Amino acid sequence: MKFDALTEEHLDALREVSNIGVAHAATALSQLIGRSISLTVPKVLLTEICKVPEVFGGAEKLVVGIYLQMLGDARGNILIVLPRDSALKLLSRLLPRDKSEGTLLTELEISALKEVGNILASAYLNALGALMGKTLIPSVPVLSFDMVGAVIDYALIELGEIGDLALMVETDFFGEEEKINGQFFLLPDPVSLKIILNAIGVKL
Amino acid sequence: MSKIISVGISEHKVASDPVVLVTYGLGSCVGIALYDPEVRIGGLAHTLLPAPVREVQGAERTAKFTCWAVDLMVEELLKCGCAPERLVAKLAGGATMFEPQYRSAHGGIGERNIAAAREALERSGIPLVAEDTGGDYGRSLEFNTSTGIIMVRALQQPIKQL
Repeated sequence: MKFDALTEEHLDALREVSNIGVAHAATALSQLIGRSISLTVPKVLLTEICKVPEVFGGAEKLVVGIYLQMLGDARGNILIVLPRDSALKLLSRLLPRDKSEGTLLTELEISALKEVGNILASAYLNALGALMGKTLIPSVPVLSFDMVGAVIDYALIELGEIGDLALMVETDFFGEEEKINGQFFLLPDPVSLKIILNAIGVKL
Repeated sequence: MSKIISVGISEHKVASDPVVLVTYGLGSCVGIALYDPEVRIGGLAHTLLPAPVREVQGAERTAKFTCWAVDLMVEELLKCGCAPERLVAKLAGGATMFEPQYRSAHGGIGERNIAAAREALERSGIPLVAEDTGGDYGRSLEFNTSTGIIMVRALQQPIKQL
């Protein structure tokens, strides 16, 4: 189905399923770091590809991007974006960090953040899959620490092949005691979007 | 201080007045700059994909595809008074942002973008005079059309001049 054919009802349904998915992911994260994590109401963004970097706060912002593919009965990309400060705070909850180390992440830190991505995406996809009555599994996570524009252009490749619009379901999460925030994005391809909406009983 | 014109993903801009054409956060995307040093007119494109998978009927040609970006800019540059034989090209970007396990799905999109850009330049007979491509990091470009110089900025890398 074409992204520009989506109605308000479709977008509502997407918001709702994503909300449930991210709620599970946030629970998993708060258990992992021993801090409560809150969520914003998800936003469904239909954006021209050229405007996508602005959604992330400008193409040059430094972020940790963790990518996973959604595999199984529906396909798409999952992108978790953590501003640099938040990624470092998250790491300090998970690993002893030597403050003298430079701006780059160590192997161990990269591995820890990938695992966080894996836990978040697995919890999200489990919940989404259960709602749909389908099996959704995440791929092995990969990570990049760079300018957000460079980190995300990868997610736009598949979408760019079929159109000029990107559909993103965005949920922001943040720690209550500590300022740890991040964004969780689901970028379904048009075929998978139809599968998701069908499976949750939305009329197309 | 020259005027700054920003070029987004899948866009191209041509400037006949002296300006700074900028594009931020090139990852696997490619920045293609064309320049006529005689009249000091240049163009910059930020392309996402090498070429369309299949020809879509009536699809608008945009700089989203590397294979079209050069032609689009050449057409506009000639209208602005550039001579095709004077045009030179510079390339930047085409990085591999994620490790191979994930990349295999796209067979190194950055490399394919670079290859498509070279091919398009060769087809148009425009010499490639400088490049900063590949690697595993993102780049931002500032192309000053009054000098033809491109500043390439990247995280953890010294600033390069092309």
